[in-house]
Amino acid sequence: MSIESPRAAAWKKLPLKERYALLTRDLDWEPSYIDREQLYPFTRYEGIKVHDWDGWQDPFRLTVDAYCKYQAEKDRRLYAVLDGFAQGQGHLTLSDASYLNSIKLFIQGVTPLEYAAHRHFAFLARHLEGPGPRFAALCQSIDELRHTQTQIHTISNYNKYYSGFHSWSKMHDRVWYLAIPKSFFDDAMSAGPFEFLIAISFSFEYLLTNLLFVPFMSGASFNGDTPTMSFGFSAQSDESRHMTLGLEAIKFLLEQDEDNVPIIQDWVDKWFWRAYRLSGLVAAMMDYMLPKPVMSWKEAFELYFEDQMLGGLFPDLDFYGIRPPRHVDDAIAEKEHLSHQVYKILHNFSSVAAFTTKTPDHVHLDWLSEQYPGTFDIYYRPTWEKHQRIEAGGGRMFVRGLPQQCQVCQLAISFTEQDDRRKISFRRSEFRGETFHTCSDGCKWIFDREPEKYVQAWLPVHQILKGDCGGPAIPDVLAWYGIQTGDNGEYNGSPDEQFWRAWHDPSLRHGE
Amino acid sequence: MNAAHRQVSIDVQESEENRVLIEAIEADNPAVTIRHLPGLIKLQAPGQIVINRESVEERLGHEWETGEFQLAIVSYTGNISEWDDDQIIVKWEH
Amino acid sequence: MSVKALYDYEFPSMDRAKLFGEDLLVYVHWEGNPIFCSAVCFRVPKTMPFGEFVTSFVVPWAESDPDFDHEAMKHWRIFDELLDVADNKSLADLGIGHKALLTFAG
Repeated sequence: MSIESPRAAAWKKLPLKERYALLTRDLDWEPSYIDREQLYPFTRYEGIKVHDWDGWQDPFRLTVDAYCKYQAEKDRRLYAVLDGFAQGQGHLTLSDASYLNSIKLFIQGVTPLEYAAHRHFAFLARHLEGPGPRFAALCQSIDELRHTQTQIHTISNYNKYYSGFHSWSKMHDRVWYLAIPKSFFDDAMSAGPFEFLIAISFSFEYLLTNLLFVPFMSGASFNGDTPTMSFGFSAQSDESRHMTLGLEAIKFLLEQDEDNVPIIQDWVDKWFWRAYRLSGLVAAMMDYMLPKPVMSWKEAFELYFEDQMLGGLFPDLDFYGIRPPRHVDDAIAEKEHLSHQVYKILHNFSSVAAFTTKTPDHVHLDWLSEQYPGTFDIYYRPTWEKHQRIEAGGGRMFVRGLPQQCQVCQLAISFTEQDDRRKISFRRSEFRGETFHTCSDGCKWIFDREPEKYVQAWLPVHQILKGDCGGPAIPDVLAWYGIQTGDNGEYNGSPDEQFWRAWHDPSLRHGE
Repeated sequence: MNAAHRQVSIDVQESEENRVLIEAIEADNPAVTIRHLPGLIKLQAPGQIVINRESVEERLGHEWETGEFQLAIVSYTGNISEWDDDQIIVKWEH
Repeated sequence: MSVKALYDYEFPSMDRAKLFGEDLLVYVHWEGNPIFCSAVCFRVPKTMPFGEFVTSFVVPWAESDPDFDHEAMKHWRIFDELLDVADNKSLADLGIGHKALLTFAG
């Protein structure tokens, strides 16, 4: 225990509410030599009306001293785990080296989003008008930078032993499947500050956070990856604060003016579907990429989304006139299909990815049949068995060509019609004489709302065909992506798989 | 369904210190149900979950600030309707 | 509805036909074959005869599936309409435009 000065002790005795008031609202001032509109130029053009910024309360009542104290403690705990794992040769104690493909997807796809969030919350910390939300945004901005750093630090240990962990930041900007998370966040950052709050703080962090992040962490725990689990839970503890910011933001905006309700509803509709489509990557990860699966996508969706959000949150928001998101029924109807359809994309094209994939073996197929009793054997199992037959004959099917992508979510257009699960759902819009393709009613609705925005999408496949990605041939594109031989392709026979076997089988260690 | 019946939940990390915290929550919230997931414990209850500083301190045997709950929590569902020096309440409002 | 912005929001499309010069982007979907997750996207000269397009673009892609049979390709459609294909007619002559979606059954 450190010895505290009498002044610090007196400060500590102040009740939480009083300390919070002193350190946030009481530090704010009214501008005198410029007007508020000049000081805060971004808070009017979206049509949102705010009458009293002091109505925004941070339920956590977090102050700067408490923030520093708890964050330091979280980091101390995390780094103790990282040291222990590295000292104990933890990279050998995972369930299987193939598990790490999900962590490659994480550092390539998610970590750069943390950094983007850091940047944009710093913007909100400057530009929101109330001191309460500004301080909450400032804390979140620092949190997101901490997440970026702890994730890089944690995962760098695997970069010493396994492929695919280098160059992730370059890959995030360039590689086709990483355009899915990147375009999602770019869409939010290029919107106004209020839409960003509904997009990221509410839809991403409150509505879907449990589907987007908790499965990675539980998967890490179950597959022997304690460092990832630890940074994950350490980040999630901040995430609870971010969820609170999201919920507080939506309630505050809805309470401020009735005219805000239809604007917010529109954003909830849009961002639910954007975040849900992004969660398709997590669905694929949960059902196919964990050697020891934790729970199926369907079960997680029912628990975290249907029970908790539709059953718990939306009745609460009904009070303000907000209904469940448009197209939510399409997501529910798709819960038996999403993971299989998205993993198929990754499996078809891991030849040009910075991770490897493999066809599920019989044990895995049986697990999937059990988890999806009404659908898996009918729609998906026969295709995987065909892959097994191809591989038994010495082949491995990758698609020789580039996929058609959705103009909005940037996933390959691979989803199917509700009334015929064998039929791909193609949607298209015409705008200024040009055709634009989307994957679903949800993405088409988003496109048609703001076509001027989405016609600018940087679609990786079209960019490759324009010749803007390193050259015309696949090896040129891979080099431009920063993908090295062995990062990509099939897991069985890959460097990761061969090293893993050699490390665990002394008879294979000759010549090492 | 009204606010008193809809489930709220709190997910906490599985750890030695949090075991005591969970005991305190169970004691103060008789309706709470517990589900173990890898690395975390999911607490669910209809209507609300209350965490009382005194209950936690009694079981820990030393001082505990409600702010320290930030070190334990992974996620939650509901609304944080109170967070002061003595208690934290997660509930649905409407 | 359009984008709300603090300035005139006017930007060209990223993949407009002009940027591809004498070429087109064309998508081809093999209907009912779930081993392909999606349709494929090609960049092809507008003047290329359909037969050559099939032989030099579609077939090498479709052969990713070892069960592919060139002879069995039938029922060509463009979007939801039937496409009356002729090997010696160019894509442009057949009315195949930029970002058209072609479908066949195999």
